[in-house]
Amino acid sequence: MKVIDTLTGKKHLVDILPVDMADFKILTKDRYFFDWNLEKKQEVHKLLIKGSKDILGLVSIERIPQEWRIHIRLLTVSKENKGSEKKYDRIVGCFIAFIAKMAIREFGELACVSLKSKSEIAQHYMDKYAMRLTGMTLSIEVPEIIDLINFYDND
Amino acid sequence: MTEDNNLMMDVEYGIDSRYKSGLESVSEATILMEARLRRMKMLSKDQITKAKLLQLKLKMEEFINHPIYDNHNHFSNFLKFYIDSIYSKRSTFAKDINVDPVSLSQVINNHREPKDEFILKLMIHSEKAYKDVCSFNKKIWYQIYFNNKICEIMAKQEQWQPEIEKQVRISEVTKF
Repeated sequence: MKVIDTLTGKKHLVDILPVDMADFKILTKDRYFFDWNLEKKQEVHKLLIKGSKDILGLVSIERIPQEWRIHIRLLTVSKENKGSEKKYDRIVGCFIAFIAKMAIREFGELACVSLKSKSEIAQHYMDKYAMRLTGMTLSIEVPEIIDLINFYDND
Repeated sequence: MTEDNNLMMDVEYGIDSRYKSGLESVSEATILMEARLRRMKMLSKDQITKAKLLQLKLKMEEFINHPIYDNHNHFSNFLKFYIDSIYSKRSTFAKDINVDPVSLSQVINNHREPKDEFILKLMIHSEKAYKDVCSFNKKIWYQIYFNNKICEIMAKQEQWQPEIEKQVRISEVTKF
């Protein structure tokens, strides 16, 4: 999976790795928008450009095997990757595709990735990631989840 | 940039998707599951097959990247999953790759090692099968096979090493 440098258009391969306990010391609210210390007991992953140590984004998830589902609890990009001046594009897409791969690997044709979204941004996730809205929950399943994985994984 | 585009750029910086209470979580899970079950019933055989093949590829990649030897990660199990994802009868697969159904059954049940020709046919078959599903590196079948061999041999090291060690000596040692 790759992120794109918005200035040069250059694509960079990324690693998505589990967050170490030591990482939490540098996950400040100022740079990563949320209090990530509250997620210490959850499964948290970080996104880095291959070979770099700078964390460009974070996601925490909950695996719900009895529902063949992985729920995104909290997701963010780093401060410099927010908004129209962002340095790298596709961080969120890479995270969703990464979790989608996890879900397909575990649950096959029953796989589902979900997140709870405010109504004002739900449409964005429906348009960009082909998610569906049920109640307050956005989700992506087969067949759309396969297209999403192929889009981000094969680039 | 339009106002709409600005909004789009901003919505992606973060999502706090944690449910406020257990009750909210359960209620959302219930309605989501009902909707998903309805959608699952609409899935075509093709869509299910594609999902299973992608699942198999991801499982195989996981084993290559993080080899843990157990019964699930055996070449024969991946092969079984592959065949059963596509065919209703294993004998049809045997016919499609021009191998004897009995030989196929022996490979699947770990009673026979797959020959090179078998793996080569499997590589060609899977290349065709994955064409419309996702990218697929056909050499993964060999990687799985040899990873299995390495894992098997190293897992039994305590059994074979004492006897083999007796037969091995170094008569000329190069001193650096």
